[in-house]
Amino acid sequence: MNKKAFAGLFLLIVLGAAGLRLTRLGLRPMHHDEANQALKFGALLERGEYRYDKADHHGPSLYYLSLPFARALGADRLAALSERTLRLVPACFGIGAILLLLFLVPLIGKEAVLWGALGLAVSPVMVYFSRFYIQETLLLFFLVGFIAALWRHQRRPSWAWAVAAGFFAGMMYATKETSVIAFGSVAAAYLLATLFKDRKEKTQAAPDKTRGAIGSPQADERQGFAPGKRLWMHLFLGFGTAILVSLLLFTSFFQNPKGWLDSILSFKVYFVRAGEAGFHVHPWSYYLQTLAFSKSGSGPLWTEGLVLILAVAGIVAAFRLRAKTVADRLTLRFLVFFTLISTAAYSLIPYKTPWNILPFYVGLIVLSGCGAAALVKAFRSRSIRALFFLLVAAGFLHLGAQAWRASFVYPADPRNPYVYAQTSPDFLKLVRRVEDLEAFHQDQEKMLIKVIAGPYETWPLPWYLRRFSRVGYWTDAAGASAPEDAAIVITNIEQAVRLESRLNASFQSEYYELRPNVFLVLHIRNELWKKYLKSRAEK
Amino acid sequence: MKKTVLYVLVVSAFAGILASGLAVRAQEQGKEELKLQLPKPMFIGTPRNINSPNLEKITGKSRGAFFVPARTKLVSLNKPVTASDMQPVIGEVGCVADGEKSGEDGYFVEFGPGKQYVQIDLKASQPLQAIVVWHYHSQARVYRDVVVQVSDDKDFVSGVSTIFNNDHDNSSGLGIGKDKEYIETFEGKLIDPRGTKARYVRLWSNGNTSNDMNHYVEVEVYATPAQ
Repeated sequence: MNKKAFAGLFLLIVLGAAGLRLTRLGLRPMHHDEANQALKFGALLERGEYRYDKADHHGPSLYYLSLPFARALGADRLAALSERTLRLVPACFGIGAILLLLFLVPLIGKEAVLWGALGLAVSPVMVYFSRFYIQETLLLFFLVGFIAALWRHQRRPSWAWAVAAGFFAGMMYATKETSVIAFGSVAAAYLLATLFKDRKEKTQAAPDKTRGAIGSPQADERQGFAPGKRLWMHLFLGFGTAILVSLLLFTSFFQNPKGWLDSILSFKVYFVRAGEAGFHVHPWSYYLQTLAFSKSGSGPLWTEGLVLILAVAGIVAAFRLRAKTVADRLTLRFLVFFTLISTAAYSLIPYKTPWNILPFYVGLIVLSGCGAAALVKAFRSRSIRALFFLLVAAGFLHLGAQAWRASFVYPADPRNPYVYAQTSPDFLKLVRRVEDLEAFHQDQEKMLIKVIAGPYETWPLPWYLRRFSRVGYWTDAAGASAPEDAAIVITNIEQAVRLESRLNASFQSEYYELRPNVFLVLHIRNELWKKYLKSRAEK
Repeated sequence: MKKTVLYVLVVSAFAGILASGLAVRAQEQGKEELKLQLPKPMFIGTPRNINSPNLEKITGKSRGAFFVPARTKLVSLNKPVTASDMQPVIGEVGCVADGEKSGEDGYFVEFGPGKQYVQIDLKASQPLQAIVVWHYHSQARVYRDVVVQVSDDKDFVSGVSTIFNNDHDNSSGLGIGKDKEYIETFEGKLIDPRGTKARYVRLWSNGNTSNDMNHYVEVEVYATPAQ
């Protein structure tokens, strides 16, 4: 494939990915987790406050990387932020991950990169979580960068690739402490890929393309190093960069020196959470089953089976087809081992949420690209090759249609397999009601609002009520002094039952769905309600 | 650039003077802003993803016994049903009075979004003793603007009695209702018509907390038929 055709096709893929990721970012109500992250970022934006919390919320990169987006869009405080501004961050990193695949061109070839980029661009799960203000898409971006830099360094060692690999590794760690799963998978895959040799390779001398690989005498001599010395220097540079980057972020740029140590101590928290029987325990097959085939009630059928099938072809290609050089085979085998190990690791951990699919699924997508490219080449007849090409292209188009459906038609519908503990659209009606009532209260945005609900039933209220200056949050009615003093009281069902005798006479109550099977009750003071009703009648 | 900076400085200075002026004025009147320390929300991880039918029972209490006159019997079974939307999205209009009350797929009818009604023709005007409605009970939901009307006029133009109305903001335009919203359960919602005599029963709804559609699993009307 010539350079112009490759560039044109790649550009088209990036434009398609941008279209799916950047449009109507405010469509889906904020998820509980997104609202948590948004409030954390709000503190950094408004007051420059960030302290790493080893118990939850993962690393600091999301917040620090959100700053330029917020500032560029003119948001200088929490109330000025919008869902769109926040979700622009993962959306851009989702597009960035596709662009980073360009670094794999010398390793796996143009055709495989194009198919892989197409898969990443239109995969429903990738698109859905690229529009989600949590860390996973950032982790995906840095992981792709890390693997690309590592293998570019392996191919042609240079201090720049060593620093790049260190930077991406440091950012991975500063994004999610659980990136250690990916680091472990990369290390194990590298070891297995270098150990594995077929019969031909054992008897074959290394081809020209691998001359210059790290530690090789030719390369070291060329760079003026004693053999082996450069390896240690590059390792030092890579590790040094990784530690420096993560140190800067976890310590809030040295404002919280304990932060980096806390990130290490957090392993205990995440290790316990990974294994404990909590809310998010799912069988080992959860991820693969979700990707392969999913249908809920009267909802549509969802499948990313095409990627899985092509990934199997990619695995076969890595071991059976004759790649040009030993280095090419090595990269492919690394990808195979990395994907298998990380998929197994994530599947064996009982704690599962759909966004955790991303770090291992990217391997499957790249392998599917290798598989598609290998299969297209495998057919000798041009007409069969063209037919196969069209079939695979149609399959990817179907993936794109599903991505559209997941993010734009069913973004908060439980029949979408990637919708998980998602805030219901009905909740936005509660927010709208509170905003409508504000106009009829003398204190307007200063009217007193009391939220009395458990923490799992509180979010994303703090995000949606961020403009109101007098909002208090209690987990139990006993702690909230005189709830009846408030203009508006928002409770969960349990607290509504407890407060029934105190609120019934002077408040009008309405139910709203927070999430499927979870309700909030909006209690509106009678005087305020009457004013509101009067204005509606006058209209 | 310099002009912009100068402009920002002047505006900020004026705003500062104005704010301090207002504060001074409030203090002069012997008052100050009451600054309440309100508790902040607790940060917490991902909540449970509830996707199982009737996982949470809202009250956990049974409705209890409801007493009706002797000779009261079910009069709606297999009676003709009409609706504002005669081409449902899912299911058939007739399932509203077919006696099947299962919460599973295949046992409910789904009507289009917004305000919709179903109407049962009981074939004779008779004193109504109880109406039980199951909108949808494989998931906890609240149906909006539930209004139940009865009449002897099939067009509900004259002689209309409203026996239940929880449209508290009159968003359906049938008048403000005083009845409470309720969460759907397998028990259905029992409405007491208090012996109102009628041939037709019309049930309105206006979407629900999960989506904008309207659903019915079953409606049962109990009456004491004239002898």
